[in-house]
Amino acid sequence: MKKDSKNGKALFVRVWQAKYLYLCILPIMAWILIFQYGPMYGLLMAFKDYKAKLGILRSPWAGLENFKLIFKVPIAREAIINTLRISVGRLIFVFPIGIVIAILLTEMRGAKLKKICQTVLTFPHFLSWVVVACILKNFLSTEGVVNSLLGGLGMDSVNFLGSENFFRPLLYITENWKEMGWSAIIYIAAIAGIDPTLYEAAEIDGASRLRRIWHITLVGIRPTIAIMFILAVGNVMNAGFDQIFNMRNGLVEDAARILDTYVYDITFARVPDYGFSTAVGLFKSVVNLLLLLIANKMTFFITGDKMLS
Amino acid sequence: MRKKQRKKLDGVQIISTVLVVAFSLIVFIPFWNAVVISLETSAAAAKYPFSWIPMEFTLENYAVLMAKGGALMEAYKGTIIITIFGVLIGMTISVMGAYGFSRQFPGKKLFFRLMLFTMFFNGGLVPIYLQYKNMGLLNTYTACIIIDLVSVYNVIIMKNGFENVPMELQEAAMIDGAQDMLIFFKIMLPLQKPLIATFSLFAIVGYWNSWYWPMMLMSGGNKSVLQLFLRSIVNSAGSEKTASGIASVLISGDGMKMAAIFMVMLPVMIVYPFLQKYFTKGIMVGAIKM
Repeated sequence: MKKDSKNGKALFVRVWQAKYLYLCILPIMAWILIFQYGPMYGLLMAFKDYKAKLGILRSPWAGLENFKLIFKVPIAREAIINTLRISVGRLIFVFPIGIVIAILLTEMRGAKLKKICQTVLTFPHFLSWVVVACILKNFLSTEGVVNSLLGGLGMDSVNFLGSENFFRPLLYITENWKEMGWSAIIYIAAIAGIDPTLYEAAEIDGASRLRRIWHITLVGIRPTIAIMFILAVGNVMNAGFDQIFNMRNGLVEDAARILDTYVYDITFARVPDYGFSTAVGLFKSVVNLLLLLIANKMTFFITGDKMLS
Repeated sequence: MRKKQRKKLDGVQIISTVLVVAFSLIVFIPFWNAVVISLETSAAAAKYPFSWIPMEFTLENYAVLMAKGGALMEAYKGTIIITIFGVLIGMTISVMGAYGFSRQFPGKKLFFRLMLFTMFFNGGLVPIYLQYKNMGLLNTYTACIIIDLVSVYNVIIMKNGFENVPMELQEAAMIDGAQDMLIFFKIMLPLQKPLIATFSLFAIVGYWNSWYWPMMLMSGGNKSVLQLFLRSIVNSAGSEKTASGIASVLISGDGMKMAAIFMVMLPVMIVYPFLQKYFTKGIMVGAIKM
C-alpha cells in the first residue's frame, strides 16, 4: 500500500494520468454517495421531534431525548438484551458448526458421496428465509413430521413454533440447517491451503488423526477463524432479522423481539414515531460499528493481520 | 486431497462420513417433504405426515396456485425484471469499481474508505424509506433494483482478485503502450471471468430472493415480486384456523403453500448446479487474499 509514494510528478499530472480509473469508480461512487450516504441525512430525525408535516429540517430539535427513551421504554430495553442474547447464542451454537462441518467434510471418505453431501448441505443457503421458514415451519408444526415421529415414539406432541422456550434454540437449529454447508466452504478452502507435507511429517512421527486435526488443521485455519469471528462479532447487534421476521408469530412475540424487528414494528405501528425509530436504528448501527472496530483491533493482535486494510 | 493412499479407514474417517451423511439427510428431508406434500392431496398429507413419494398423487395444488394466475405471473414478472436489470447494471458498476480500486490513483484511499464505511453503517430503515419516497421511487421496480445494486464486500473481493493478477502481465502491456482501459478489457476481464461469473450468480440469487426492501418499498402498490407473493400465500394460509379466509386457501392450505414454495424455488434449483461449479473458486480467490 505504501509504495505508491510521490514520484515527483505534480498532483494534477497524476490525476490526469488516472482519468480512466476515475471513470471506472465514478458509477459506484455515485451510487454510494446518493443511495448510501444520501439517507444518512435522514439520521437527523433521531435528534428531532420529527413531525411529518414539518419535514426533517423544520421539525424541532429534541437533543438526545429519543436516545434516552430507548433506555426508558421497557420493551426497547428488552429488545436490546434479547438481541445480545440471541447473538451470543449464535456465536456459541452456530459459529463453530461451519468449522466442524468443514473438518468432517475434509476427513470423510468417498469422493462422490462427499460431493453429493456438500451439494445438499449448501443448497439451502441459496433460498430466502421466506422459503426456508415456510418449509421448516411445516416440518416442525404440531401436525408435522417431527411431531408425528415423536407421536410414534409415544411422546406428546410439542408446539416447537409456539413456545417461547423453544424459540431461541429453534433459531440456532434452523440457521445451522440453512447455513452450515455454506459457512463450511471458507474453512474447506483454508484447509485445502495447508501444506500437505505437514500432515505427512506428522503421520511419520506417529501423530494420530485427531492430533493431526487439532495441531495442523485447526492451527492452519486459525487466521480464517479469527476473521470470520470478527465478522460475526461485528454483527452482534443484527440478531438475524430475516430469519426472525419469518419465523415469529404472536405466541413468541417477546422471545422474538430484537432491535430490528422492534424498529420495524414501531415504524409501521398505527402511530409511528419516526424520530424514535431512527434513534433506535442509529443506536444499533453505532454500537455495531464500535464492536467491529474493537474486534478488528483484537484480531490484529492475534494474527498480525487486519481484515480492514 | 492428500496424494498418499490410505490402507484402511480409521475411526475418525468413519465417524466423519456417518455424521456428514446424517446432516445431509437432516437438510434434505424437510425439503423433500415439502415437494412431496405439494404433489399429494391434502387428505394424504394429513394422514401421512412423511412419505418418500406422494401417497395420493395430484397436481391440484399447482392448479389452484395457477388459478390465482394474475398474481403469480405479476410476481414472476416483477422478480425477473428486477433480477435482470439489477444484475446487469450492478455487476457492470461493481467490476468497473473493483478494477479502479485495484490500481493506484490520487485519492484512492479516501474513496475506498468512503465505500468501505457503508459496509458497516447505513441510514437505517426510516431514512432510507423516506429518501426513496422523496425521490418518487416508491412502488417502482427501479427502487428494488437500486437498493441492492452493489455488494461492497464482493467489490472488495473482486478488487483483490484484480490485484492478484501478476504485475508483469500489466507491465508488459503497459510497455506495449496499452492504456488503462485496454488493459482492463484485454487482460484483467478475461482473467477474472470465474470470479465475475460467481458474483453474477450470487447477484441473481440475491435479487431472486429479495423480499425485505420490496416489502418496504412496494407495499400498497400493485407491483409485486415472487417472495412477497409467497409471503402473502403463507400468511393467508396460516390464518386459516382463526379467520374463515378464502375458500381455495381453506381447501388446500399446506399443499398450496408447498406448491408455491416449489414454484419460487425452481429457478434457483436450476441455476444451482452452475453456481456450485463456480462459487468455490470465487470464494477461494477472496479467501486467500483475506
